[in-house]
Amino acid sequence: MSYKIKDALSRGLKLVVVDPRKTELASLADLWLPLRPGSNVALANGIAHVILRDGLYREEFIRERTEDFEAYARYILTEWPLERVERITGIRKDYIEQVARLYARAERALIFWGLGVAEHRSGSYGVMALANLALLCGHVGRPGTGAMPLRGQNNVQGACDMGALPYVLPGYQKIEDPLVRKKFEEVWGRPLPQRSGLTEPRMYQEALSGNLRALYIVGYDVAQTHANLKMVHQALINLDLVVVHDIFFPKTGEFAHVVFPVACLFEKEGTTDNGERRVQRIRKLVDPPADLPSDWEILVEIAKRMGYSMSYRSPRDIFEEMRRLMPTFAGITYERLEEQGLCWPVPHEDHPGTGIMFEQNFATPTGKARFAIPRYWPPEEEPDEVYPFLLITGRRLFHYNCGSMTRRVEGLMELLPEELVEMNPRDARRLRLRERDQVRIVSRRGEIVARVHVTSRVPVGTLFMDFHFLDPLTNTITSAGMDVKVHTPEYKVAAVRLEKLS
Amino acid sequence: MKIYLNGKEYEAREGETLLEAAERAGIEIPSLCHLHGAETSPVPCGLCTVEVEGEGLVRACTTPVREGWRVWTDSDPVKEARRRILETLVANHYGDCRAPCSQPCPGGLNIQGYVALIARGEYAAALSLIKERLPLPALVGRVCPRFCEPRCRRALVDAPVAINDLKRFVADWGLERGGIRVEMAPPTGKRVAIVGAGPAGLTAAYYLRLKGHQVTILEKESEAGGMPRWVLPEFKIPREVLRREIEQLLSLGIELRTGQAWGRDFTLKDLLAEGYQAVFLAVGAFKEREHQIPGEENSLSGLDLLYRLKKGEEIPIRKGQQILVMGGGYTAVDTARSLVRLGAEVTLIYPRSRVEMPAPQREIRAAEAEGVKLFLMAIPLRIERNGQAFRVEIARTVLSEPDPKTKARRIMPLEDTREIRNFDWVVRAWGEESFTEFRTFGELEARLAVTPTGQLKVQSNTLATNIPGIFAGGDFVSGPKTVIQAVASGRKAAEAIHAYLMGIKKEKSLPTVKFDFNRGRRPEDMDLEFYAQFPQVPREKPAERPAQERKEDFQEVVGTLSEEAARREAERCLKCGCLGFHKCTFREILIRENVPARGRVRAKYTLQTEHPFIEVDPNKCVGCFRCVRSCQHEGLELKIYAQGTPEEEIHFNFTEHCVSCGACVDACPTGALTRKDSTVPFSRNEVREIRTVCPYCGTGCNLLARVKNGTILEVTGAPVPPNYGRLCVKGRFGYTCYRHPDRLKKPLLRRDRGQPFREVSWEEAFEFVAERLLEIRERYGPDSIGVLCSARTTNEETFIAQKFARAVIGTHNVDNPARV
Repeated sequence: MSYKIKDALSRGLKLVVVDPRKTELASLADLWLPLRPGSNVALANGIAHVILRDGLYREEFIRERTEDFEAYARYILTEWPLERVERITGIRKDYIEQVARLYARAERALIFWGLGVAEHRSGSYGVMALANLALLCGHVGRPGTGAMPLRGQNNVQGACDMGALPYVLPGYQKIEDPLVRKKFEEVWGRPLPQRSGLTEPRMYQEALSGNLRALYIVGYDVAQTHANLKMVHQALINLDLVVVHDIFFPKTGEFAHVVFPVACLFEKEGTTDNGERRVQRIRKLVDPPADLPSDWEILVEIAKRMGYSMSYRSPRDIFEEMRRLMPTFAGITYERLEEQGLCWPVPHEDHPGTGIMFEQNFATPTGKARFAIPRYWPPEEEPDEVYPFLLITGRRLFHYNCGSMTRRVEGLMELLPEELVEMNPRDARRLRLRERDQVRIVSRRGEIVARVHVTSRVPVGTLFMDFHFLDPLTNTITSAGMDVKVHTPEYKVAAVRLEKLS
Repeated sequence: MKIYLNGKEYEAREGETLLEAAERAGIEIPSLCHLHGAETSPVPCGLCTVEVEGEGLVRACTTPVREGWRVWTDSDPVKEARRRILETLVANHYGDCRAPCSQPCPGGLNIQGYVALIARGEYAAALSLIKERLPLPALVGRVCPRFCEPRCRRALVDAPVAINDLKRFVADWGLERGGIRVEMAPPTGKRVAIVGAGPAGLTAAYYLRLKGHQVTILEKESEAGGMPRWVLPEFKIPREVLRREIEQLLSLGIELRTGQAWGRDFTLKDLLAEGYQAVFLAVGAFKEREHQIPGEENSLSGLDLLYRLKKGEEIPIRKGQQILVMGGGYTAVDTARSLVRLGAEVTLIYPRSRVEMPAPQREIRAAEAEGVKLFLMAIPLRIERNGQAFRVEIARTVLSEPDPKTKARRIMPLEDTREIRNFDWVVRAWGEESFTEFRTFGELEARLAVTPTGQLKVQSNTLATNIPGIFAGGDFVSGPKTVIQAVASGRKAAEAIHAYLMGIKKEKSLPTVKFDFNRGRRPEDMDLEFYAQFPQVPREKPAERPAQERKEDFQEVVGTLSEEAARREAERCLKCGCLGFHKCTFREILIRENVPARGRVRAKYTLQTEHPFIEVDPNKCVGCFRCVRSCQHEGLELKIYAQGTPEEEIHFNFTEHCVSCGACVDACPTGALTRKDSTVPFSRNEVREIRTVCPYCGTGCNLLARVKNGTILEVTGAPVPPNYGRLCVKGRFGYTCYRHPDRLKKPLLRRDRGQPFREVSWEEAFEFVAERLLEIRERYGPDSIGVLCSARTTNEETFIAQKFARAVIGTHNVDNPARV
């Protein structure tokens, strides 16, 4: 993504980066807003305030394509005066006004966001607040516009598209809809429950209270990557059965009864969906070691022994069933994916795919987009006298999530061999810490030890860590806070204190 | 607008350059420095020069098209201009396009490639690469005279890489594991008969079988293996090793009929009548040479002794007997060493000096260590049998001055040194030759064309005889040679027979050797200073049994390297062969413009190996500045002083801004920038390019993987959306984790968390999980179970995982890592 943005910069694109840290891209930006962590909703509402106050919005677009504008406008204009925004975000109001004008007056403008928006208590509202901006200015449904989350994992889009969510069936079809349920029940030959299931964070709570007894985990190292790990570990220990699939022995394996080894993505056929909704073919390059099966083959074997037989011979057979059940995939075939990927929805085989969504209508019953009221919740905890630092966690270029793959690439380990705590030079001087000194980082939930990297990329009073390593296990100290709507852990804000180790 | 390219009219677009217009027209104009979408080079290469009528020579990359222009892309002045530019570039180039070790190898093995794969621990891939050209590596790994090792440039640092020991290590690894998977073509319905199950016959059978033909081998003896099975001593190649290797080869579906001798049990006509469409004659060279020494007929035959020993038959040699073995080749030394093992006192007589003996020096030293006495510069003149003993008249020899024409030095016995010596036995072992009596075997045989000395005549490039469909090779045609040469012959025959059967006309490819740069062919040409940069590492030696112990039996003398030793030894390879070979535009242009690769013989720069993923060899830089221009991050600096002159000086450095995306390596048109992960040299046309999607982040960049021998050789960006050829460090270099030894390979199970994990069978693990899930569902209901899907697996797998939760377990408790 950054390559594309850099290309565009050289063509004269204007770039605004909102990030508490001075990232590589921030240093190339026309405007960098180092807002206080957790204040995304406030900032976006502040920008909206300027757009509404100064009449910079596109009336025609709002009239024809949206609804509930008045309630939203009233909320923003009364609840979000710029002085309040300044106080919460720490960004001066003239910057906010500049960004608002730049965005509203641009012929085409895009909003991208990463997990820095989502992983907060008001994460969902942060996303809504940004979507509202796009609606206000009509930056939707045309080339070069839109609001797009940058997806972190190769098939996190596909995982959601496939209905690996407790509240929707594949293709985001509603569980509550009896016709939808009937369609699935006919193909699958089993009745489906009518009520939604548990989200992952709620599964841990239910495990702690003894209602959840078993967890089957396909290639997801929860015991390393989930926030507030002590709670997760306790929940896993409480379970009567934990089964995991992985290519390397995962941290979660320590809590498991069975660990299934599987073929990796270079060793099998199939499809994945990228962040653009582009369905692409995964092709087998080499044979798996020891003739390892793919994840689906293991599930089919277990299902068979549980009295449910599935007769797929290949991933293509599964794909055919997906097409039958998911209208958004109906027009996609392996043959069509041969040349290049297709962006869903692809309703029929002659359909070229949908590169741009919402050109005419939005995916709502009225076809109009609804302005949501983006409410603001401060982070679960904020720095205080006992825990004076704010810890942000995130990722680094040279590693990837739980690190099980990148930690096994020699060159990447040469580039970044260990977890480092980024700290502003002023804090370092005050605490008499020097580059690579060892410190203990303590939060209300636990403590870990790591070495310090002194850099002005992080603001004063803020620390940054990743979670790519097993030691230290950074998520031991991350927050217990969760998004109020969809339960995403608040990875981005935790209050911690530092102790120098001699 | 209209333009004329090489006399033909084309439609050009306003504003485009001549280079772009030609590219659209499908007319190739060479260029080293042109980089799509980037600014032009600060020092243009000038190779894209073309001639415009009325304008003279212009650079196609910067000249916009004009209406009606007549352009010549390959006229004489253009060619001349290009030649001059290329010659300056060539004069500054220092490197080995191809590894020197594989040049002398009769089998043409990609030695650097399999050594690199062994260093990576990818033994199956190494073996697969070897078997592309050598189906009998356990045999050759034991008996090869190692044409390659003397050419190993590591000798300039310390000692050559133990190439053959590495081959043997990986071959034995394969034998223990029951072989590796091979790809076989669909059946062709064609049948081939192969006469003789020696190395040449087996090799031909193997490659013909892989092409999908039905192959039958007819063998005179009771078992396959030829010379290595029936003559080579057990202590060099144990029959069990050979048997296992041949069994694996035959298990591809090759039929072996033993006890079938050509001329006795069948003729060529019979074979054709049986429906074979082609025949390959590879019956070896078992006929003994004669020397016409009076009384020679009284001596024993070394060949016969070796054969009888391998057959397990009695031979007349007894413990303590004095034996004279005559000869200095393989058969002589093998015979001497075998007789020593029977307790005899063996003297080996040879009329020239030690270094002139045809047997490998390594084996001569081994024979001496085992107690064989060498009697050099001496010749038997007459042999008399005297009851149970032999009287041999022997003279010392001198050699004549070299013959002015042939350089040969004749043997001249010194008359006054004649003496008589007594022995219990005399054994002749002057080597073998091919037999010539085959013409009497049948009516087709009688029509076979022969050489003046009576040997079968074949075409050297196809091994075809004068009768269509009848081919011949191996020692039968060449006379006695090494196993690897027989293998090479068998493979050549297989290719020719395949082409014959399928009616494929082989296109003649011009030799490209003169376009291969090399760092010096003779030791005195080589730049010792360049090799001083490599630290010395002692060569690994396989275990060798002490002479006193091994002379007591026929057990194998030399052992196989341990895995650790093999890995260490493979790491010693200097990787001479250019690892940018497959991407080298420079060499392609040299071939196109017919400019020979006469490069430098002295290095100017040492290798820069500091970057974690990229190796820099400024000796191969052509100054195109594509690396600098491909970099979006100011990640590298290149300064060239006095470019294009003999005083040229190149300064290349990566900066702290480098993000290791590797775009510069892709852009480099030579091996000046190469990837540390891509350690197997290859050419573009021998790999499969497969497109897939990067397994890391959600951008979903398309990868182009180059795959061969069941391993990924390298990964670059595919030129399609969403990434259009670009990749980040993880996409380009992070793929190697798939072959990390930590990969889990067996299901792990424990009934409760207090116990350690056990590796269990798949069946046991499936049963356990299914049973427990059913129990829990029974007791606590379906909502007591949760399924967490992956954000890494394919859609199909995630679909099955959520279906598993909903349809099999009966719960919507299903989620995925979208929150991480």
